[in-house]
Amino acid sequence: MPAWKKSGNLIASTAANLKEAIDKDIPHVLIDVRPLDAAEKEHIKGAVSIPLKELANAKDKFPSDKKAPVIICCNTVKASEEAFRIVRKWGYSNLSYLAGGIEAWKKSGYPVESLALKTAIEYVPKPRQGEISVEGFKSIAEAKPSGKLILDVRDVDEAANGMLVGAMNIPTSDISLRLSEIPKDREIIAHCVTGVRAEMAYHLLKEAGYKVSFLNANIKIDKDGKYEITKE
Amino acid sequence: MGKRNIKLAIVATLAVASLFLFSVSGMAAEAVQKPKIAAPCKQCHMPDERILRGSFSGISPNAKTIQIAIGPATWLVKYDSETKLVGEEKWSKISKEKEIAIATMEKDGALYAASVAVKPPAKIAPDKIINAEELARLIDSGSEKGEFTLVDSRPMPRYSEGHIPGAISIYDAVFEKNTDKLPKDKSKLLVFYCAGPT
Repeated sequence: MPAWKKSGNLIASTAANLKEAIDKDIPHVLIDVRPLDAAEKEHIKGAVSIPLKELANAKDKFPSDKKAPVIICCNTVKASEEAFRIVRKWGYSNLSYLAGGIEAWKKSGYPVESLALKTAIEYVPKPRQGEISVEGFKSIAEAKPSGKLILDVRDVDEAANGMLVGAMNIPTSDISLRLSEIPKDREIIAHCVTGVRAEMAYHLLKEAGYKVSFLNANIKIDKDGKYEITKE
Repeated sequence: MGKRNIKLAIVATLAVASLFLFSVSGMAAEAVQKPKIAAPCKQCHMPDERILRGSFSGISPNAKTIQIAIGPATWLVKYDSETKLVGEEKWSKISKEKEIAIATMEKDGALYAASVAVKPPAKIAPDKIINAEELARLIDSGSEKGEFTLVDSRPMPRYSEGHIPGAISIYDAVFEKNTDKLPKDKSKLLVFYCAGPT
């Protein structure tokens, strides 16, 4: 499968897969490439209409995350293939077309809608377990609420070059031995540089019974505590 | 897959496991509850108290820690320059979600990796292998005519989220119960694929 995917070959996905994504709110992008009038008459919930004729010029509409699951919906295999090849060239690796198109969807007994179609793609990647949003982290870093504690899990020499104001530094590798220093009555928010060590700290603290979350993003901190967060 | 070797492995593992039964009894209760082997690994491997089998989910050279996911659980295991890496040249080359086995031990009160083995590709005779290009040509020439059957051996949800067009789904773990899905004519070509090479 990886070799097949890598060479850009066609990949089909099932109606059941799409139904599950819709029912469970699993982030995905569904593109209906049929002509607008056909798509308006009946389409699958959450579909974004980009008729095949316009698809080649619609690159900007697609999410920046190239790993986003993108599903193409059409009624013919030929059009599905054509749409697939256009989008695949842009580097979307989790791209598939709905096997059997909207007819297979209906045959499975799944509902269609004739409500207004979306024309813009909204895609928010699924956060990892325990991940705090960048906005959520920033508001805690600014307001410093007494019930919450930012835990800097970088090594001591990294932290010496600048820490967030009010944060506590315990490297991930020392957490198990220094649990007594971490207050149980405060919610812990862990950060490192990229999110890797912070995620490990999250698991350690969660197992130790803490209420904890972690920042899954890149963060740079100056000597004076000024910081910049970038999320890929 | 060497299923016939499993019986032998079971005997060996049981012998080792019974030896270890006494030495591991002092472990923390919560650690015992967390799974140490992921469901797909059980097809070929017996559970072993000292070995964590699951998918690689991250590594921090700064914290000298490896993160492995086993079902819904996550384990953090320390490693250092003494830890043996088998099946890959460098730590940084292990790809996310790759199947790994970590032989663990207690060191300074933490879980420590004595060795980490990256799952090697299965050995298949070269004349039994078809590459992606050849398969694409085969599909273009028309599988509908019944010239060949393409089988996706991965678990059903993996098939559902994306498969090679025209493939049918028979998860390897339930293969024996589903041989009726294969064509009656045994002279026809069968092509299998998975998330390999595994």
